[in-house]
Amino acid sequence: MKPANQIIGQILRVGIGVLTAIMIGGVTIGSAQESVSVRATLMTGGVPVDDPSAAAWSSAPPATFPMSPQVHWQNRIQEVTVKDVIVRALHDGKQVAVLVEYADPTQDPDDAAALEFMVGDKKAHFAHGQPMLQVEGGPVNIWFWKNKTAKAVDMNAKGFGTLKAQEHQDVKAKGVYSNGTWKVVFSRDLSTGHAEEDVQITPGQFISIAFAVWDGRKDGAGDLVEKGSQKAVSSWWYFRADAPPDYSGYMYAAIAAALALGFQFVLIRKLKKGQSA
Amino acid sequence: MGALGKPIILMVGMYAFLKFVLPNIPGSAPLPSSLIFLYLLLTASGIVIFETLSGESKDAFWGPIQRFLTGENIGGLQALRYGVFILFPLLVGWQTYGSTAVSDLPPTESRTIHPAPPGEYTGLSNPVPKTPENIMQGKGFYAAYCSPCHGGNFDGKGPAARGYIPAPANFADPTTIAMLQESYLFWRIKKGGVGLPIEGAPWKSAMPRWEVELPDEWIWKIIMGEYDGAHQSPRTWE
Repeated sequence: MKPANQIIGQILRVGIGVLTAIMIGGVTIGSAQESVSVRATLMTGGVPVDDPSAAAWSSAPPATFPMSPQVHWQNRIQEVTVKDVIVRALHDGKQVAVLVEYADPTQDPDDAAALEFMVGDKKAHFAHGQPMLQVEGGPVNIWFWKNKTAKAVDMNAKGFGTLKAQEHQDVKAKGVYSNGTWKVVFSRDLSTGHAEEDVQITPGQFISIAFAVWDGRKDGAGDLVEKGSQKAVSSWWYFRADAPPDYSGYMYAAIAAALALGFQFVLIRKLKKGQSA
Repeated sequence: MGALGKPIILMVGMYAFLKFVLPNIPGSAPLPSSLIFLYLLLTASGIVIFETLSGESKDAFWGPIQRFLTGENIGGLQALRYGVFILFPLLVGWQTYGSTAVSDLPPTESRTIHPAPPGEYTGLSNPVPKTPENIMQGKGFYAAYCSPCHGGNFDGKGPAARGYIPAPANFADPTTIAMLQESYLFWRIKKGGVGLPIEGAPWKSAMPRWEVELPDEWIWKIIMGEYDGAHQSPRTWE
């Protein structure tokens, strides 16, 4: 028989090994993640609503989303100029700004871009909130910017052909073109007084976002190639404004560690008393 | 080996089995770490109950543990003992932090790829005779209406596919049309993405609702062309 010391040593080595393996196995789950969401970084001192080149944007992580020609509903289009959009976002607890960046070889008056959000709790089809046959869908809120008007329009739709500008225009947009790249900043207050029409952005919560882009170039006959439903679109992705930092996890950890320490202390005291009795 | 040797071997063996052996058994899958932890906990409880059945085995089991914890006559293991006392609260704290931390990941969405069709779309048979002309015509319609997304090679890699999630179905893949009946395809083409039930996440699908643009006969021909072009056959009942 081995001495007790050796046996205990074995137990502890194996036990620690097993515990470590369990914990490492536990924390590595779900660490790999592609670009599926836009994260609006929390900043102080006002978001750069008018400046797509502001230094503050470098603190926002870029997310890239692929675009497709709109095929869900007529009129369709088979090919579009913009293949990807790069999206960044910032917020300061009051206002949110979303920077959409994409390559477009020419600057045209009809160049345009839009963000789309679901409104409220009901799911909405990504194609303008098209009615679904077995699911009751909700409306979408569209923030639309066009180069020649140099401003944003805050709109709603519930299916193709229902697009309508809101009475309350809460969205601003500013586009800057340089070196074959559009940078468009959309901005708005995180929440508005019109929850039926406007997406409400609550820090910490994931909401759905989609993108659309129109290259305003014209064909040989002088007609716009991309217009209306003939545009580049994305699927639904996620958007989340960062919640203010929350340190309560550290507090709970400290309390748990203190409890464990107390438990050890009491246990050993009890054992020692038992031995001497 | 004392009374502690066997339990240790049992625990280690159990862990190795759950982690490395079980996932390799055909039809099985890797266990989540929480489940492994639960099984190990049950094993440990079983061991404790077994070892404390009689007074003698109880002393043999608890004796060494007790001696280590109280630090009596353990000589060189004293340093290890203090190490454990420091490490244990830290581990508890770390685990607590990990379990209270808010996830940075978006909500997971489970989507049923082939949800059940409405009753009226089960068991329909293709009314169009399967002639070379009809198949040819179906392939022509496919090229015009379907191939931009589903691809000229029926592989789901059409030029318009890249931005769409869920990705357009790859008909050459044996897990798509090869395991479906023609009536199922008829429903999916006719009603499109917006016709899916809630478990199919209809709000994400770009599939057009072709019933508003194409006559039924064309849809049946497209189905024929798809199976022929992708070298697949519809699933049948026998």
